[in-house]
This record gives sequence, C-alpha cells and structure tokens, in this order.
Amino acid sequence: MRRVILTVTATVAGLVALLSFKTHSSDPERTVASPTTQPTLQPGERAVTGNVANTIYGPVQVRVLVKSHKIVKVNILEQPQSTNMDVQIGQYAFPRLISETLTSQSARIDAVSGATYTSGGYINSLQSALDNGA
Amino acid sequence: MTAAIGPRALLAAIGAGAVAVLALWWQSTLSITGLGGWLTGAGEILGLLAGYGVIILVLLMARIAPIERGIGADRLARWHATGGRYVISLVSAHVLTIVWGYAANAHTNPVTETGSLLTTYPDVLMATVAWGLLLGVALVSARAVRKKLRYETWYYLHLYTYLAIALAFSHQFADGASFVSDVAARFWWAALYAIVGALVLWYRVVVPARDFVRHGFRVAGVRHEAPRTVSIYIKGRRLRELEAAPGQFFRWRFLTRGQWWQSHPYSLSAVPNDELMRITVQDVGDHSAGLSRLKPGTRVIAEGPYGAFIPVRSGRPALLLAGGVGITPLRAMFAAVSGTVTLIYRASTWQDVVFQAELDAIAQARGATVHYVVGTRSDLGGDPLSATTLRQLAPGLHRMDVYLCGPPGMTGSAVAALTEAGVPRRRIHYESFEF
Repeated sequence: MRRVILTVTATVAGLVALLSFKTHSSDPERTVASPTTQPTLQPGERAVTGNVANTIYGPVQVRVLVKSHKIVKVNILEQPQSTNMDVQIGQYAFPRLISETLTSQSARIDAVSGATYTSGGYINSLQSALDNGA
Repeated sequence: MTAAIGPRALLAAIGAGAVAVLALWWQSTLSITGLGGWLTGAGEILGLLAGYGVIILVLLMARIAPIERGIGADRLARWHATGGRYVISLVSAHVLTIVWGYAANAHTNPVTETGSLLTTYPDVLMATVAWGLLLGVALVSARAVRKKLRYETWYYLHLYTYLAIALAFSHQFADGASFVSDVAARFWWAALYAIVGALVLWYRVVVPARDFVRHGFRVAGVRHEAPRTVSIYIKGRRLRELEAAPGQFFRWRFLTRGQWWQSHPYSLSAVPNDELMRITVQDVGDHSAGLSRLKPGTRVIAEGPYGAFIPVRSGRPALLLAGGVGITPLRAMFAAVSGTVTLIYRASTWQDVVFQAELDAIAQARGATVHYVVGTRSDLGGDPLSATTLRQLAPGLHRMDVYLCGPPGMTGSAVAALTEAGVPRRRIHYESFEF
C-alpha cells in the first residue's frame, strides 16, 4: 500500500512539475501579411482582409465586410485546425468574438476564456483589417 | 557463455526511454493555459507514458534469451504484474483527463465531450474498445479472480492485450498532439513498437519452431520417482547447442490430444547431455497428472532454456537448499557446481524424498555432503531450517553461495534464516514460481 501511495504521489508530482514549467513559457504572436481571395459582395459592401496572426496553435486571419463605415460581417479565413480540439475551440470561440465585434464595432473586445490565444490572433488580425481602412 | 542483460541495465534502459517520451511531449508542447490546458497536457503525458509502458510490458514478457538469463523469468513476471497495474492506471487516468480537459476547452460538459470524442475524433472509438479490453484483462489478473481461473483460461484471456495494443495504436498518431505534426516522432514510436513486435515473434514463435525442427524433441520415457512424482526423459538431437545450464528450465508442450494447447515450465532435474534431458514433476494439477501417462515417442515443443537461477563462478563453497519438489533444479546443480558443495534437502515425509540414491551417489563420487531434513515441524521440534541449524549443517555458511528452491513459504523463511546466519543477500540465489 505504501508503494502504491508513493507511486501515485510521484506520478502526480512529476505531471504537475512538467505542466507548471510549460505554463510559464509563452510565445510572442507575430503578424505576417498574406494573399487574399476575393469575396462575393452585396451592393455597397467593401471587404478588407486582415493580416495573418500567428498563434501557438496556428494562424488566424479574418476578413471584415464594411457597409457605410459599419462592420456588418466578419469571415474567418484561417483558423487553427491541426487537431480536432483546435476546431472545437474555434467553433466555440469565433461566433462569440464575431458577435462582440459587431456590437462594439471595433477590435477592443475581450478574449474568450479558454481560447486566449485564438482570441488574441483574432483580435490582431481584426485590428490590422481595421487599420487597413475598413 | 551466452550473453546476459542484468536488472540494472534493463531498468536504466527503460528509464531512459521514459525520459525520452517526456522530452517528446516537452518539445511538442508550446504553452499551457487554463484548466483545460492543464488537464489536456496531463492527459497527453499520461497517454504517452501509457503507450510506452504497454510496449515495455510486452517486452518484459517477450522471453528474450539474454534478458531471461540475466534477470530470471520469475522476476520479469513480477515486474510485469507490478508494471501492469501501473500502466492500466495511467491509461485510465489518461482517458479521464483527456475527456475532462477537452470538455473544458470546448466549453461543454464531459458527457457531451465523450460523445464528440467517440464520434468525431479519428480512431478514438477503437482506442476506447482497447481500454475496455485492458480493464478486462486487469480484472481477470486481480488476485481474487485469478485464483478462481484455470491457468490456461487466464493465459488465453491475457492474449487480448495484443489486440488492445493494436486497436489503441492508431489513435496515438491521429489525435496525439506530439505526433500529428512530427514525422520523426511517429517514425521512432512506430520503430519501438515494430522492434518489440519482432522480438516477440522471434523469441516466442520462430525460435521454438526452429528448435523443434532442429532438435526433434520426443519423450524417451517416464519413470515414477515417488507416489506423486514422475521424471520424464526427453531425447533430441545435438541438445548441447541449446546451452542449457543446470538450474534452468524449459516451457514444455507435449503434443498429445489433451495437452498440446498448454505449456508448462519445468526445471531440468539432471545435467543434460547431447541426447537426453530430464524433468521431474510433482503431481499438483490436472496437467501434471496427465504427464505420468505420456507415451514414449510423443513429440515435444521445448521452449528455452530460461531462468537466471544458475551457478555463479565465484570459487566459494556452495550450499544448495531444497524444499520438496524444489529439489529438481538443485539436483542438476548438485552434479555440476564446482568446488565444495553441501546439499540440504527438506521434505515433510520420506515418501516425498526423490532421487535419494542419485544424490547419495553424487555425494560419494565428489565428496560432497547431503543432509536430509525430513518430518513435520512438530516431529522435528521447531523450525528445522533456523539460522542455528543451518549453521550446524553447513559450517562456514556465511562464506558460501546459497542456492535456494522450494515452495514460497519455505523460500521466505529460509531467506530470513540465511540472512540471520550472516549470508549477504546478494549471495542468496533463488527462483520462485507461482502460477
């Protein structure tokens, strides 16, 4: 029994140690320009594509549709999807980010909890689109 | 002398492999955030360790000749059992942390997430079946259940682990964050599995089949040694090439209608020569009872030799300490150990004593000593193998190499008495078999 307790404790301690070391390190997010494809537009709409924002899970890129100085739609052109979990997180986070964007009409929105990096990528790409004249 | 890999070398190699597995996780993981990240990270580490552990468990049981000789089948089996309990815990913890962590990341509850894992993540369904199989195998190996099963039933159920390992393999590459985008990691991981698989195939299938053809083992005859004990002589060609040492055992499969499907480990009870080997079996189960009816000429598959219970060449005098049918490997050693040798043979009745004429003849031929300690504890007035009596029977005991073979209870108390008599643990050699 003592050996069992010892083994379990050692395993859990090792896990916590490994995980907590990883919690402290983080990567800066960089932004890189990328080519775009043309969307089909409604009359009076203008499309502005944001830069690609690289996150640790993969690149995020958005396109903003603007109609008379108002953001009417946000498309996600690129999102992390190397694992199913990335896709799941995206499915959860992007609708929330987009609805916040449409409400605030700016890139000053809060990150979705549990999707901090993806949110960061979204906000960066969105900001660059707005800077590019949306 | 055949090569041998000792316990320290093997444990060091296994430990180094585990560190490499953790390093793989370390370099493939960039950063962790939130509860979901922590749980998912823990799940990944647990999964990687479980995937590594399960193949190491197979390696321990692959009957690799140098490992069998250096560590001993009994100790390998104990490591396998202990390791098995650990790995099944790792697998189960992996499942729970992954479900919980993914649920936290996707902002769903664990039940919904379980559904989405099973239906949308590649190969997770197969891996879940594998987990169920492993839990089943763990259940039938638990001491309480194991005692109620026939050895063969348990053994064949245990083979389901191979299926479980195969089913669980693909989800590691399809869903494992450390493998998805790392070709080199996938290559080395697959190589590890392939090498262990090849070793299993080689040592458990190819070598026995090759030896069967090369040596043509057949039953030469059966001799009744005592009311419940028989010796079986097995003949074959060029048996010296097997390099079997006294004290070692083979796994024997007698190809008769009733017995071909089971194989049992029995020690050689005489030093083998180029044409003949002998084993001696006490009637303890339905299998050993059938052995007394073996017909000469019956074909035999002999797998081995196995076991690390072999004489060391230390130049020290040797004490052989046998309890009951544990005499068999020591009978072989008695004729083969070099230098001064003393044999103490413990049995509860004179009817159970086998090889008495042989032992006396060997003792006389090489000037060795045999002590028969026969009778129940009450007949003999106390512990017949206490430190004091052992010292009297084997003067200079503390300088000797001791070889001990007997039932588990006797082995335990004899080790304690020998230690008390001043024999260092490293000079007490024993092998314990419980199936």
